[in-house]
Amino acid sequence: MSLKNIMENWSDYRKGAEEGGHHKYEHKWALAINLDVCTGCNACSTACYAENNLAWVGKDRFEKGQAMHWLRVERYWDEGDQEFPDQGASFLPMMCQQCNSATCEPVCPVAATYHTPDGLNAQVYNRCIGSRYCSNNCPFRVRYFNFYSYYEEAWASPLNMQLNPDITVRNKGVMEKCTFCIQRLRAAKDKAKMENRKVNDGDVTTACAQACPTSAITFGDSLDENSAVSKLWAKHQVKRGPHKQDKNIKGLRGYRIFEELNVNPSVMYLERIREDV
Amino acid sequence: MSGTINRRSFLKMMGWGGVGTALSGCDVPTTVTLEEGKEEVVSYLMPEEYVIPGIGVWYASVCTQCAANCGTHGRVREGRVLKLEGNPDSSINNSKICMMGQAGVQGHYNPDRITSPMLRKNGNLVSASWDEAMAAIAQKVTTSSGDKTAWFTGTLSGHQLALLNNHLEAIGSTKHYSHEVINTTVSQAVNTDMFGEAMPRYRIDKAKLILSFGADFLGAWMSPVHFAGEYAKFRTQKQRGMLVQVEPKMTLTGGNADLWIPSRPGTEGLIALGIANSLTTENGVDASKLPESVQALIQQNTVESVAKSTGVSAERIKKIASLLKQKSPSLVIAGSPVEGQSNGYNAVAAIMMLNHLLGNVGQTVESSGEFPYEQLKSKQGNTKDLLAFVEDAKAKNLDAVFFYASNPAYTAPDALDINAALKNIPLKVAITQFPDETTLQADVVLPASSFLEDWGTHIAAYQPEQQVLGMQQPLMEKINKDTKGFGDILLGLLQQVKKDEYGQYADYYAYLRHAFASMPSELKGGATTEDQAWNKALQKGVVSISSDNKSLNDEVAEFALPTPADAGSGQYYLMPSPRLGLWDGRHANLPWLQEAPDQISKVVWDSWAEIHPSTAAKLGIESGNIIKVKSDNGEVALKAILIRGIHPDVISIPLGQGHTEYGRYAKGLGINPLKIVSPSIEAKTGEMAMFATRVSISKTDMKDVIVKLGSSDTQMGRKFVVTVPVEQVKRTEGA
Repeated sequence: MSLKNIMENWSDYRKGAEEGGHHKYEHKWALAINLDVCTGCNACSTACYAENNLAWVGKDRFEKGQAMHWLRVERYWDEGDQEFPDQGASFLPMMCQQCNSATCEPVCPVAATYHTPDGLNAQVYNRCIGSRYCSNNCPFRVRYFNFYSYYEEAWASPLNMQLNPDITVRNKGVMEKCTFCIQRLRAAKDKAKMENRKVNDGDVTTACAQACPTSAITFGDSLDENSAVSKLWAKHQVKRGPHKQDKNIKGLRGYRIFEELNVNPSVMYLERIREDV
Repeated sequence: MSGTINRRSFLKMMGWGGVGTALSGCDVPTTVTLEEGKEEVVSYLMPEEYVIPGIGVWYASVCTQCAANCGTHGRVREGRVLKLEGNPDSSINNSKICMMGQAGVQGHYNPDRITSPMLRKNGNLVSASWDEAMAAIAQKVTTSSGDKTAWFTGTLSGHQLALLNNHLEAIGSTKHYSHEVINTTVSQAVNTDMFGEAMPRYRIDKAKLILSFGADFLGAWMSPVHFAGEYAKFRTQKQRGMLVQVEPKMTLTGGNADLWIPSRPGTEGLIALGIANSLTTENGVDASKLPESVQALIQQNTVESVAKSTGVSAERIKKIASLLKQKSPSLVIAGSPVEGQSNGYNAVAAIMMLNHLLGNVGQTVESSGEFPYEQLKSKQGNTKDLLAFVEDAKAKNLDAVFFYASNPAYTAPDALDINAALKNIPLKVAITQFPDETTLQADVVLPASSFLEDWGTHIAAYQPEQQVLGMQQPLMEKINKDTKGFGDILLGLLQQVKKDEYGQYADYYAYLRHAFASMPSELKGGATTEDQAWNKALQKGVVSISSDNKSLNDEVAEFALPTPADAGSGQYYLMPSPRLGLWDGRHANLPWLQEAPDQISKVVWDSWAEIHPSTAAKLGIESGNIIKVKSDNGEVALKAILIRGIHPDVISIPLGQGHTEYGRYAKGLGINPLKIVSPSIEAKTGEMAMFATRVSISKTDMKDVIVKLGSSDTQMGRKFVVTVPVEQVKRTEGA
């Protein structure tokens, strides 16, 4: 990317594909997460550990904030000083939001974090020099740095036999993050190509969406209008481009976290519903 | 590299002087060529049968991480199982599995697995051969052993259980202690009396309102994944389901409630009676079909009197009653904090009675039908058998005991002094994968295969849709060659005492094939040959079994006023809380589950005590303070966490930690609250009242860091999780 190119096309680089930005997507993978049925059970997070060779780090390193949970389930209590939490807790599965205008991408000094034609923020592990600028710039705090060679303890033999051979095990000095299970996407795309067809909705799903006991997570290609995820985004009138949604029906539940920062996330959440008693 | 030669230096030397010179004076190289065959080099050109390098194949099996017995698909690639997912053909879990199921691979590949049989010699466990170990058993366990020999297991079902019973019969014993800390024994006793069925189906998906008294159906209950799937339907149905949870400490289910109400342990039955009173007096619900004694109980317990004795406001009780009347059908259920009191039976009965009063029977409480094969049916664990076992052992009534899938040395309270009891048993045989607390006291240790290496059939205790038999098959070769499947071990034991009958089976697989062949043909889905039927069953992972439709009993059983008795002195109630994850402690050796934050407190790799901020303020306790929790039967010290989702009279310590053995990942972490439980008894069933222990709390000067996920407990005004009222959604989505 030459400097001239950046200067001339700057505004394009800050726009999503749907607004005439520079992206020419083959697919634009997206998620919809229904917070009303998410129970906070952790099945998604553990499935992610199993699928993506995530190292557990142990208590001391967890305390220092080094946990490698690409998908973590946050728990929030309501604000205020009521004696008891009458409406339970709020649970939030938080993973990389695969922003279209990702704040992590332009700050990488070596272009190790970049945008794929599938609309994903990819991390090139063998290019990463560990500056951690990307993590510093991520408003969602979903990038995880290998401060140590966690694998040395995490997969004491024969636990290493469980490692997924479709993806790497990361060593110290490298940033890593949720990839929307890129190895599954790769396999689905290859299979579709072999069969000379397009990737159909339902051909592939992420480990978290597969595991979710309440099916709160829906994964798919948002360029495919008939995909389940596109239909959900459309139903809740959430568009990918704008940093503020203009809905015909006020109060539809879809929203994107930190949309106002103009990062253009690919994850739509559906608001949690509670009945006032 | 002295004396050896690697490939690179070999090539280098080839360049210098040719092969002959290079090898002269050297040992045989460690990296050798295919031709020499010194190392097993398997060419991808000649893969094993069915193996396509680089392609993962999914095989069906059964998860045994808890007694729900979800169906699984395991991804196998190059002969290794890599990941488990739910089996879409299983009506129990419909392609989903929970965190415990996902972590099943970590038990299978665990570095602390026992790899060979062991015998106790001169006080120490030393490696032995299978022949030696089996001979040691054969010496003591014979056809004339009688009741002096016993089995001690967790919940079991299927052909393993049938073989176990055959073994008992062969040695002339009737003693099979079946022990689980997390169980529903008291509820089952109530259900049998109230509905005529111990485990009816709870149709969470059909309910418009669920009133749950401590039943953690999304977490540590009978079939968490199934109920989570139904919960999703319950929340997304046309008229959105509403969840009211009444419990002493917030469970995962409570964390998802529309209305969460703290209850003082032991008062839940009274609250139910107060609701019944409001239903009959203010909401026009007809109670005439209830027995007179029950009607009298309802009349006596007016809303006001119940409010006074339970601390739940009269307004709340009336509100719940009117909601129950409005939102029909509803479903009322009870869980472990209610069952685990000395009045457990009566309290659960008062709660389940509401289903009759509200007309839920046949609507949201359905018959699950009768499983036709009695000998395969799940034999569920309880705590009564633990008490009986300890008593028998103390009285020196046991000469030999086989332990499998249970760890009583960890789960038994100190008050029972189980270690002394175990010393009285001359031959303790542990069939196990891990060096747990019980195993390390055994005299003979038989290393078991993991559930991913073993054959089996499983009939879940809770059958949610149709009756199914789960087919468990090995997903890969054994990691440790010297381990054996549970079925194979049982068969070996049977062959010791009944060679004529069981000698014909080469292994458990052969036995299972034989047993399967004798099953009626309607279960085999139109398969023409026996091999076809067997392969079909394995491919699908489940065999559906038709059962007779039954209807539930419509008569309400009588019960007495549930007034709780105290176990011991002390101002506070101890909740040893079960959690989805470490469960009763059996999963403490799986690092993924240790590192997965507790759903409510978000703490990892540790034990903690949850107390209410108002109680903490009274005692001068701050978050992170080490406190001492003392019952009549012991004391533990651990850090306190201030959480508002708990009754101020309650202190909750989660189950699962405090292992003194059990491998590198579990040993030495946290404390085990079961140890200080005072073993009082639930009056009607003889179960241990696990949640009735009274404790006192004292503060120490020490403090410890709380290691948990997230530094902020609230959203600090930001909009991460937005909550909207149901009325708004009705307008927009018509829900």
